[in-house]
Amino acid sequence: MKRLAVWQERLIDFCFPAESDTWLAVLRIGLGLEIILYALSLRYDWNYLLAGTGYGLISRNLGEAILSLESRLVPTLDWLVTLGAHVGLHEETVLTVAWIFLVAAGSALLLGVGSRFAAILVWFLHLCAAKSGGFVSYGIDNFMTIGLFYLMLSPLPDRYSVDWRLRKSRSRDPQLLGFWRRVLQLHLCVIYFFSGLTKCLGSGWWDGSSVWRALIRPPFNVINPEVLVSWKYLFPVAGILVCLLEIGYPFFIWHNKTRKIWLIGICAMHVGIGLTMGMYLFAFIMIVLNVSAFACRSDPHRASNASSWSFRKWAHKSAGTEHSFQYVLLSAQMPLLLSTTATIALRIRSTKG
Amino acid sequence: MALSKRRIYVAGIALQLFLVITVSSRDTFWLLSKSKTVFPESSKKFWQGAEQITSTALAQGLPRSNPVRQILTGYVNLSGIEVGYGFFAPNVSNSYKLVFELHFPDRRVEYELPRVSNSASALRVAGLVDTIGRTHSEALRQTIITMLADAVWREHADAIAIRAIFGSVILPSAAEFAHGKRESYEFLYAYDFAVSDNPTERSTP
Repeated sequence: MKRLAVWQERLIDFCFPAESDTWLAVLRIGLGLEIILYALSLRYDWNYLLAGTGYGLISRNLGEAILSLESRLVPTLDWLVTLGAHVGLHEETVLTVAWIFLVAAGSALLLGVGSRFAAILVWFLHLCAAKSGGFVSYGIDNFMTIGLFYLMLSPLPDRYSVDWRLRKSRSRDPQLLGFWRRVLQLHLCVIYFFSGLTKCLGSGWWDGSSVWRALIRPPFNVINPEVLVSWKYLFPVAGILVCLLEIGYPFFIWHNKTRKIWLIGICAMHVGIGLTMGMYLFAFIMIVLNVSAFACRSDPHRASNASSWSFRKWAHKSAGTEHSFQYVLLSAQMPLLLSTTATIALRIRSTKG
Repeated sequence: MALSKRRIYVAGIALQLFLVITVSSRDTFWLLSKSKTVFPESSKKFWQGAEQITSTALAQGLPRSNPVRQILTGYVNLSGIEVGYGFFAPNVSNSYKLVFELHFPDRRVEYELPRVSNSASALRVAGLVDTIGRTHSEALRQTIITMLADAVWREHADAIAIRAIFGSVILPSAAEFAHGKRESYEFLYAYDFAVSDNPTERSTP
C-alpha cells in the first residue's frame, strides 16, 4: 500500500511540474501565425474547396454526410451555413465570413487579444473547415486541431499577450501550466514513436528508396530529380536517420543530455521536409509544437515575479542561469521559425494565380 | 491545486493518452495487415485480429447510433486524434493522377487536370486524388470523379463530352532513373460523361 502511495505521488508530481508560461506563449504565437498563413494560403480556393453545391471543386456535403454517420457531435461548416440561412445569408457569404473570422481570430491569437476566446474560435472554425473538407484535408489539419485543442484548454493568457498588459488578468497556476505542457509532450512522444515504428517496418526507409520516392512523388517533387539522383548514396543514411530520430524521440527527448540533439534533429528534419517537399505549413506546425513542448525553459519563479514585457530583456537576464541550455535552444529555434514563416509567405506570393 | 482536483486531471490525461495510443495502434495494425512489411504474409491475420480488438476498444463495434460510439467518435474528432501517424509508412506508395479529356463540338480535344490556385491547395487536391485511388468503394470513387468532372465542365461549358481517366503514377527507383527511366502511368479507370448525364460508361483495364 505504501509503495502504491509513493507511485501515485510520483505520478502526480510528474504530471504537475511547475512551469513558466513561456511555452504557452510560443504555442499561442506559433498557432496564431500558422492559422493566418493557413487561411492566406487558401484565400483564393476557400469557397471553391468548401462549397456545398454548384460552384465548388467537390461538394462538402459528401464529406459531411459521411462524417455525420460517425458522429453528429463534430462541428462542420453546415452548422454555420444553416445558421446563416436563418438570417438570410447565402452559403457563399457565410463561407467568406468564416474565412474573415478565422484570419481575425488568428491575428487576435497572435497578439494575445482575448486569448481564450480567440483560441476557442480558431479551434472551432478550423475544425469546421477541416471536417467539412475532409476529402481535401491531410496531416497538417490534425496537428493544427491537436495544437489548438490543447491551447484553448491551457491557462491563457500568458505574460507576452496583450491581455496580460491591458487587463492584468493573471490566472496562472504554474502546476496547471506544467500539466498542459506535459500532455503536449506525451502526445508528441506517441506521435513520433508510431510514426517511426511504422516506417521501421517497411524496407524502404532502411535502403533509402522511400526517401527517394517521397522526394519525387507528385506533388512533393519540388527538387528536380536530375539533381536528387546525384545524392542517391545519402538516401539510406537519411532514411535510417529519420527512423532513428522518430522512434528514439520518446526515449531521448526527456533526458537533459540528449534533448538538445534530438530536438534540433527533429526540427531540422521538419525544415528539410518543408524545403524539399514544399510542405511549409506542415513543417511550421511541427516545429511550433516541438519548440513549445520541449525547447522553452521552465522557471516558475520567474513566471510569478515577472514584470518585464520585453523578450530581449528576459533573454538577457536568463543567460548564464542553470536554464541557459533551454534559452540557447529557444534562440536557435526562433530563426528557424522566422525563416520558415518567411519561406511560406514568399511561396504564397509566388504561387498567386 | 487540491489533490482531488489533480486526480481528476490525471484521469483525464490517462484517458487522452489511452485514446491516442489506441487509435495509433489500430492504424498501425491496419497498415501491417494491408501493406508489405518486414513481417511474413502469414502474420496478416494476426494483425487484422489486433486491429479488430483496438477498434472495439474505440467503440467501433457498437451500432453507429449508439450514444457511447457517437460521443467517443465525436471526442476524438474534436481533439484531432482520430487518425494514427503512419505518414509515408511502411513504404512510400505510388501516387495517382486524374486527367480530364474534353471533347468539343468542332472535334477539338483538350486535356485538363483538377485546378486550384496555389501549391498549398494542390497538396490538398493530391490527397483527394489519392483517396479516389485508395478507396475500395466504387460508388464513392464514381461520385467524387463525377463532382470533379462537373467542376471542370463549369470551366468549359461548351464541351460536349468529358472522359475522366484515372491512373497510377509508377515511380522509377533512383538507379532506374539514373539509367534514363522516367515516371510512367498505369491506366486504372475511365469514366465517360456526356452533356447533362451521369457517367455513361466506365471502363477498367
